[in-house]
Formats: sequence, C-alpha cells, structure tokens
Amino acid sequence: MADFDAQIRDSQEQVAAAQSKISDLTSRIEIARAKLQSGDDIALDIENATLDEVHAHTDLMNANIAELIMGLDDVTSGFSKDFDEMRNKTGWESFVGVFSSGKSESLRQERMRNASIDDKLQDLIGKSDVIVKLLEGQLNMLNQQKSSVEGNLTGTLDEREATVGELETLRANILAMDPKIIALEGKISVEQDAAARTKLESELAALNTSYNESVQHEQVMLAKSQTLERYIEKGKTWVDSLQNQAATQMVLINKLQTDTKQRVVLYDALSKSLKTAQQQDVAHRINEIGVQTDQEAQAAMAGIGAATNQRMADMLEAHEDHMVFARKVLEQKVKADERFARRFQKIVEKHDKNLYGA
Amino acid sequence: MASSNTSDVTDRLTRDHIGLSDTFAARRYFRKFDQITDHLGRVAAVMASERQLTHTDVGVIGHYVTALRRSFEALSMKYLMTGRDTGTFFGSLAFDAHESGFPVFRELMTMANDALQAERHLSAMMSEADLKSEMIRAIVGDLDIPTKLQFSLSQRLYYEELFTGRLFWAQNDPEAIWLGNSGDEERRSYLVHWAVYDSQVNLPTIYLLEIEDTGKTALPKDQRRWPQVQSHLMAQAVAGLKLLTIAQGFDKDFDDLHPKRLRRIHVGPMYSSAYTHQAGPIRQVLEDARAPEGQDWTLAWTVEELESERVEQSRKGWFGKVDREIFALDPFSGRGADTGATRTERAVILPERPYQVLAEMDPPGFRDVRKFVVGAGGRVLSYR
Repeated sequence: MADFDAQIRDSQEQVAAAQSKISDLTSRIEIARAKLQSGDDIALDIENATLDEVHAHTDLMNANIAELIMGLDDVTSGFSKDFDEMRNKTGWESFVGVFSSGKSESLRQERMRNASIDDKLQDLIGKSDVIVKLLEGQLNMLNQQKSSVEGNLTGTLDEREATVGELETLRANILAMDPKIIALEGKISVEQDAAARTKLESELAALNTSYNESVQHEQVMLAKSQTLERYIEKGKTWVDSLQNQAATQMVLINKLQTDTKQRVVLYDALSKSLKTAQQQDVAHRINEIGVQTDQEAQAAMAGIGAATNQRMADMLEAHEDHMVFARKVLEQKVKADERFARRFQKIVEKHDKNLYGA
Repeated sequence: MASSNTSDVTDRLTRDHIGLSDTFAARRYFRKFDQITDHLGRVAAVMASERQLTHTDVGVIGHYVTALRRSFEALSMKYLMTGRDTGTFFGSLAFDAHESGFPVFRELMTMANDALQAERHLSAMMSEADLKSEMIRAIVGDLDIPTKLQFSLSQRLYYEELFTGRLFWAQNDPEAIWLGNSGDEERRSYLVHWAVYDSQVNLPTIYLLEIEDTGKTALPKDQRRWPQVQSHLMAQAVAGLKLLTIAQGFDKDFDDLHPKRLRRIHVGPMYSSAYTHQAGPIRQVLEDARAPEGQDWTLAWTVEELESERVEQSRKGWFGKVDREIFALDPFSGRGADTGATRTERAVILPERPYQVLAEMDPPGFRDVRKFVVGAGGRVLSYR
C-alpha cells in the first residue's frame, strides 16, 4: 500500500503546515494584545486576507484527510477479493478438478482451513488508527488555540467594559459641566465689578480647560474602545473559525471510528461464517463413515456451497432472536455518515465519480 | 441497496456492543474483572486437585489467566479517565453486553496495534515521577484538579504495561510442551496450546491439543512443519467450528501428526446484573441475589473435550498408508452430533449470595452444571 502511505505522508505535511499557519495567526492576535497593553496603536495585523488564507489551507487539509478516509474504503475492497477466493476455486483447483473432482475439492478445503483475514483486520485497524491520530493531533491543537484565544478575549472584553464605563462617566461629567459653564457665562455678562469679573473669568477659563481636556480624553477613550472592539471582533471570528474547524475534525474522527468498528465486525463475521459453514457438516459425515469418504465429502460440499448464503442469513436471524434491542450503533452510524456527507459532499461526489484519475 | 443491506447486517452484529462511558461504571467493571481473574487461578487449582486437569494443564491455563489479567489491567489504565474532560478526544471501552460481558474483540486488536508503538510513545512521554511532581504543582500551586496530567499518567502506565508484554492478545500463537515418548515406537507426545480472543462471541478461548508426532524431526524444532502447524491452528481457532471439525482438518492436513485429545475452554460469559443483559434463569438469580457491589456476577466456564477412539489406516497416494483418527462422539446421539465433542462440561463460578439464590431456585438447566462458589480469602467450594 505504497499509495496509502504516500497519501498519509502528504496529509501529515499538510496538517503540519496548517498547524503552523493557525498558531501563527493566534500568535499575531496575542502580539496585538500585547501592543494594546503597552498602549501602542494596533494597526491590526489580523487582516481578513490572512484569515482567508488559513481557511483555504485547512479546507485543503481536511479535503485531503477526507480523501484519505475514502481511500481506506479502497483498501478495504481488498477484503472482498478474499471472500471471493473463499467462495470459489482457484485456477489450479479448477484445473485439477478436470482430472479429479475429489482432489480439487480437498485442495479447496485445505485452503479454506488455512484462510485467515486477521492480519488484514489488524492492518485496517492500524491504518485507521494512523489517520485518527493525525486528526486527534489537529483537534488538540485547535482546542488549545481556541482556549488561549478565548482566554485572551475574556480579558479584552473586561478591559473594553471598563473603557466603556469610563467613557460613560466622562460623558456624564462633560454634560454636567455644560450648565456650570452657562451659569458662569451668565454671571460674567451681568457682573459690574471688575475684580469679581476677572475672578469669574479665570474660573471660566479653568473650567473651559478642564472641559476641553475631558472632551479630548473622551476622544482617546472612544478610539481605544473602538480598537478594542475591532480586536474583539477579529478574535471572535478566529474563535468561531477554530470552533468550526474543531467540529470538522470531530466529524472526521467520528466517521472513521464508526466505520472501522463496523468493518472489523462485518468482515470478521463474514469470513468466519464462510469457514464454519463450509467445513462443519463434512467433518461429521467423514467421522461417521470412517475414511472412505471422499465421495461423501463432495456430495456434502456441493450442497453446502449453495447453502452458505442461506446459513449466513439464518445465523444472523437466530442471533437476532436472542438480542436485546438497541439501535444505538446504527443511529450513530447514520449520524456520522450524514455529518460526513454534509461537510464533504464534493469530495464524496468526486470520489464516487472517480474523478481523481487512476 | 447494497449499502443499506450492509448497514443492516452490521447493525445486527454490533447491536449488543456497548460503550462504558461513565468513569465509575468503567472502574467498577475493571475491579470486577480483577476479582474474577483472581478466583480463576484458584478454581483451576481445585480442578487439578480433583484430577480433572493435570499439572501441566494447570500451568498452561494459569499462564493464560495471568495474561488475561494483565490485559485487563492494561485496558483499565487506558480507560481510567473515561468520562472526564481530559481535553483529548477519547473513546470509551466497548464491551459485549449480551452473552459475553467481556470487552469486544476490536479492543484487543487496537491494543495489539498500540503495543507496536508503545516504545515510541514511552520515549516521548514524561516519566512517572515527573508527571506526579507536575500534578502536585498543579494541585498546590494552581489549586486545580490536574485532569490532563492524570490522563497522561494513565496513558503512560498503559503503554508501560503493553511494553512489558506477556499479555493476552487477540491471538496467542501455539506453543508446544513435550510430554514424553509413548510406546516403543518413536512417537513423541506433545501438548500444544494456544488461545484466541474469539471475535464472534467476544470471549477468550483456550485450546489444548495432545498430539503424537511420528515425523523425523521433533515438531517444535522442525522448521518446515512447525510454522505450518501454527498458522493452521490459528486459522482454525474459531469458536463456531466444532472440535471434531478442527481435529479432523488437522489430522488430514498433517499426515505425521496425530491429534489424540483436543480440549477447548471457553472462559465466560460473565453475567452481571449491573452490566450485562441476560436471558433465562441466571437473570432471575442475579436479580434476586441483590448482592452488594463486587458480588453480583457469575462466570461460566465451559470445557469441551474430544478424544480419539481408534485409529484406522487409510490409503494415501498409490502406495502409502497413513493413520486416520476416528474420534469418539457423545454417545447420547442427537446431542453428540450437535456438539461435535466427546463431552462438554459446564461450570459456573459465582460468589456466595448468587449461589444461595441459585440453590434455592434450582432451575432445571443448572442441575448438571458444576458450581464453584468463591468467597473471601480465596476460599473455593465446589458443588454438583
């Protein structure tokens, strides 16, 4: 499976690239916050262009991983070959069958006794585990980033709240100052005594200065609040995006785990029931009649070969009779499939149409 | 159409696989198994004292029971932090709640997969002491519950357990023990034993096969036959196959090996009123016992045995002759044809309280079942 390995490596590289981009963006947000703290103007580094770039990259990565998961389907199609081999005769066996059908049948039986798909199952589990690890790594990283940006954001939100509060009191002060100034101006206009008038005028000048200062301060606070708001907006977008990405990872993991779980059970049951059905009855007859049994074996085999499918169905039905009803797994599977389809519709379409070249 | 069919089939196959996602439920489940495996060894010793098992058999069975115990310990470490927010996306132990009570086969396969990477994981992890001192720092310094560190430590212990090996894997390849030479002929006797975790019923199954070897080279040293024998036996270790089928296939494929006695031990199912769904009288027994935690279980233990009755000579090729075994089947026909074994012995292992109820109810199905009653201090009483 060199192809699969190459694909895995490819995905690993992409995950690494996407991770570095994501942490890059998070660190930019953090740097911006540090600047904010030191009072520098943040000529916002986190522009939409960068955000889009990260998104484009993670989309690419996710598409790649989704493809990998679909690719696993192709890996598993190897199983059906095994099952066919168990059902049918090989070329050599058919050839031998021309001369001696008994010999051909006993060859097939021997092959059947030695058949085992356990290595393949192990391989399947191993491969899907590699992908899950990849996805889990990404998910962890996303969660870490998210919590760090969120922590950051909470601090900033508090700060903004304080700033806005300050702004409000400032504005109230300014408003309260207005009637005082008007009253003072009124007093000055009617004051006849020069000394008193000068005193009032200097008072007015002081009040005006403080008024101007307040207004200026208001401007500064307003600007700060706006910067904080912009920062928060960016941060929120980033958290949202991280959250969305994490959800995607979870969908992928879920789909993969459910699939693998089901595949292992299904393939195993199929191979074992094939083996059991094909061998069992023959053994009994052989034992009872002793050793001159080859013809007997053939007769039995002919009947059993046709009955295998029926037996499989019977076995499953018998199983059902004893079972306590629980639809949970099926529901999970349907949900996982739905979620997967919703997110990766295009890739599934492409895969189904085989648009990826040979 | 095809896909809906498949999902329908898989649905039926996995319907009784249940995830243990609650922390305490999972821990209690593993504690229960710890106790049970503890008792198993002693029950085997009682069987040996009654001459049902030989000294060698007990050694072999003990080996597998210990391995099984280690596997459960490893799994209990892996899933120690189930249900807690560890910051990692992590599954829960899936076990078969119907007619098994044991973890599903996939868990053991995943474990084998993890074992391959254990060394790599261990080298990348902090040591146990470091993790613990980090934990203390988190508790004392940050006044925080160090869930993530606990998780790391549990994973470390899990991988350490895997790294030491000697666990019960999904497949435990055959080993041969020389029993002696029989007769004046050059016939070596071996006890070949292997074990699998059967994927169909999700139960550990131990196979003991006594064979006579007339080959030129001793079997375990024969580089040609021994690997063939091993892979043949592993491929045939399926609970759905009757002993007769397995023995006969083996006899046929290896002309100079003569299977004389084949035994198969099914460990389990484990019934517990808290975890598994059961049908039949055992359900009533467990419910009526109202046993306290740790005493509400029953473990079935089934030994199937197939013996060779006589040997016939059969023509092989044009001139050759080989021995073919004819096996003794249960004389109570009907039943014998069903089991494909010479005899089948069933036993249940259970604590005092459920036994009390079982003895009072005396359900007909349990009359010919051996009952091993285990109690505190490793006491094992046996009742017919």
